Order: sequence, then C-alpha cells, then structure tokens
Amino acid sequence: MTFDWSVVWQHRDALLAGTATTVLLTVMTMVIAVPCGMAVAALRLYARAPVRAVATAYVELFRNLPLILVVYWAFYVLPITTGLGLSPLATGLAALALNVTAYNAETFRAGINSIRKGQIEAATALGMSRPQALRRVVIPQALRRVLPILASTWVSLFKDTSLVSVIAVSELAYVSMQIRSQTFRVLEMLTAMAAIYWLLGYPQAKLVDWIQRRFVVTE
Amino acid sequence: MTEPNATPSHRAKDAGAKIIRYQGVVKRYGNFQALNGASLDVHAGEVVCLIGPSGSGKSTLLRCTNGLESVEGGDIEFEGARLPRDERALRGVRRRMGMVFQSFELFPHLTALANVAEGPRTVLRMRRLEAERRALAMLDKVGLSDKVSSYPSALSGGQQQRVAIARALAMEPDVMLFDEPTSALDPETVGEVLNVMKKLADEGMTMVVVTHEMSFARHVGDWIAVFDAGRVVEQGPPTQIFDAPTTERTRDFLSHLGWTG
Repeated sequence: MTFDWSVVWQHRDALLAGTATTVLLTVMTMVIAVPCGMAVAALRLYARAPVRAVATAYVELFRNLPLILVVYWAFYVLPITTGLGLSPLATGLAALALNVTAYNAETFRAGINSIRKGQIEAATALGMSRPQALRRVVIPQALRRVLPILASTWVSLFKDTSLVSVIAVSELAYVSMQIRSQTFRVLEMLTAMAAIYWLLGYPQAKLVDWIQRRFVVTE
Repeated sequence: MTEPNATPSHRAKDAGAKIIRYQGVVKRYGNFQALNGASLDVHAGEVVCLIGPSGSGKSTLLRCTNGLESVEGGDIEFEGARLPRDERALRGVRRRMGMVFQSFELFPHLTALANVAEGPRTVLRMRRLEAERRALAMLDKVGLSDKVSSYPSALSGGQQQRVAIARALAMEPDVMLFDEPTSALDPETVGEVLNVMKKLADEGMTMVVVTHEMSFARHVGDWIAVFDAGRVVEQGPPTQIFDAPTTERTRDFLSHLGWTG
C-alpha cells in the first residue's frame, strides 16, 4: 500500500476554507447561544409559570435529542413547516445554536442557583432591590463559576460542528470527505482532517484548563 | 399581647426614644413555631442583647426586623411606624439598618474596599470615588486599612467579619443588627470582632445583638432579652439577668452555659 500525501497539499485551499467555516460555525454558534442561553435561563428562573414551562420544555427537548437528528430535522422539516429557504450553512448554524443554547441555559441556571441564599440576603440587607442584587452580586459570581463549563462546551462544539457535514455545509469534515471521494485517498484525508482538528482543538483544551485554574472560586 | 413572665422595663434614665418596638411577633416555619408572641423595645443608643437556647427565636426576630423574614402576627415598629410590607418601602427601612451575619456573607468577587463601597455605590448611588473614600474610612474604623485590596478568601474569619461590619456601617445606619457575629469564628479571632462591636457601642450606636457571648452581653449590653420557645421570657439590665434572674427559664439557660457571673 502506498501513500500519496501530496493530495493534502493539492487541496490546501479547500481545506483552509473548510477550516475557516468550522471556526466560523463555532464562533457564530456561541455568539448566539451565550446570550440566548442566558435569556432562557432567566425565563426558567424568573418568568411566570407558563413561560417557565415553555422554556423548560425547550431545554429538556433539545438537551436530550441527538444533535445529528436536530441537524436533519432543521434541514428537512424547517423549510416545509416555516417556508424558509435557508442555506445549508444557516441551517447548520440554527441546529447547532438550538442545541447549544439549551446546554448553556442549563449551565447559567445551575450557576445562578449555586450562589448561596446568604449572598442575596446580604445584598437585600444593604437595601438593594432584587434586580440590583442579581446584577451586582449573583450574576458576577455565577459567571465566574460557569466560565470553565462554557469553555468545555466550546471545545465540544468545535468538534460537533462536523455533524453539519451531513447536510453539505462545507466545513472541514465535509470538505475532507469530498476530497476523499474524489481522490480515493481515504487514509491521507482522514489523517489530515484529524491533524487539523487536533491542532486547533488542543490549544483550546489547554486554554480551558487554564481558565478552570484561573477562575477557581474561593470563598 | 403582654408577656406573662416578662419583667417590667426599667430602662436607664438616659435611654433614648424607642427606635424599634416588637409587639407579640408571631412567625411559623411549617409546623415549627419560631416566634410565639415576642415583645421587646429597643431604645436609641442602646445595646440590646438577645440570648437564649438555639431555636428559641432570637435570630428569627432579628431577621424580621429588616424584613428578611415576614411577620405573620403582631407588629414591628421602626421609629414609630409599622414595618412596611411593600418591598420598595421596606428597602428604605433596610438601608437604615445595618446587618451582620453569622457567616459574614462578604461578596467573594469583590475586594474588601469594593465590598464596603458596594452599598453606597449601588443603593445610595454615590460616585465611585466618594463611595471608596467612605469605604476607606470604615475599614480604618474596624482596623483593616491595610487590607483594602484583599479579597475575602485571603482574610481570616475575624477580618472578614470586621469587613462585614464596615460594609454595614458604610450605609450610615441608625441601627445595627448582629446575628451571632462570632459564632462561626475561631476562638482567637472572636476578641477582635467583639472589640469593634464594643467600640461601636461606646460611640452610641443602637445595636441589637443575637449572641452566645455571655461576657459581651454582660459587659457591653444595656438591656438583655432572654428567649425561650419563641417569646421573651425575661428582660432587664445585665445585672438583673446575670446576677439575679427572676425566672426559672433564665436560671436554667445560664446554668446550662456554666455561667457563674
């Protein structure tokens, strides 16, 4: 068996573009899913009962469905039910954002709930209103606690973006598979793909470790 | 509602006007009757110590004073007006009462200075510099001007509690409420907190103190209220409570503590 690694170099532009799309998908998903996750968490914690129930149903649905199913669902069902003709990229982004928002909502909710009641009482005793106590005391502490979890979610998401390849979003996995099927260089392309994911993922994982050490909460 | 066993109030001649008045306060937690008609007056400038066995209602009464707990029966008056039920009005009352907790409850994400400046900044809407100037003065008052930039996690329990006292004082309250302020402390740091409290008392601060430090109550307290089963069973000046208690409950409680005067 002979290997021809030149195939990787020949397709460098396509691979680079795929990598860029992967990074873009990751960043865009988080840009949507962090504020939306906060909003959903706030609804679950502070909204009226019916709204709270809807938010809870959303979180429990999307947290417990396989992401690939959501991706297919967004691709086949969303256009039919809504009449929206989204590009594969936008569809993939929507599926990822729906999934990660549900996770982030749970993360933020747990973070806020982890702040002791005594902290809110101390703020209240100073004369703060409930929104002031949340803004000045609870949320800053909760954010510190959830930052390492958000960072882990980020790293998982970076790898999970590969799932949107099933609906032909030309991110790194899709591009690699395309090159593979054109050139039949399976092992070379899989290795190249692995190398790129790892080289980008490893520093991120290290960054997460650093964040976890840096933001350890001491009381 | 009158207390069957409560002794009449023979306040010192220089006792100020009544600033807090508890009348037959009732509070339940499920089946547990935390307060069962507690009555007590606090005069301006006085140090009133609430003592009694665990679960006798003293902390609950303190927490009702600034509305951290709601009252189910009876009345609490602050400066002649009933404690408001409305949240907004209640906040106005709270900013005039400082509170110190057993577990300090400093804000761990803020430095000592920022902890103390937080109330003036957020509640009194002071400018940052002005709030920090006041915070510095308060930290100086509790002897911690060298710890301004320390985070709570870097401070000892006694230091944390002194920052917590400074944080409450920064609101320039009319009354200070202390909820077992030394119960969570190592024995060697209890003294520094009690000294700060004594200094405050000497300056004429009105203080309501839930405490198990009998010697503090004896020497700093102007008025002692003994709690049992959700009521004040005896109250009077420390000399009466500690040297000549008039009720069996007080004698029992003090003898359990091994109090010998």
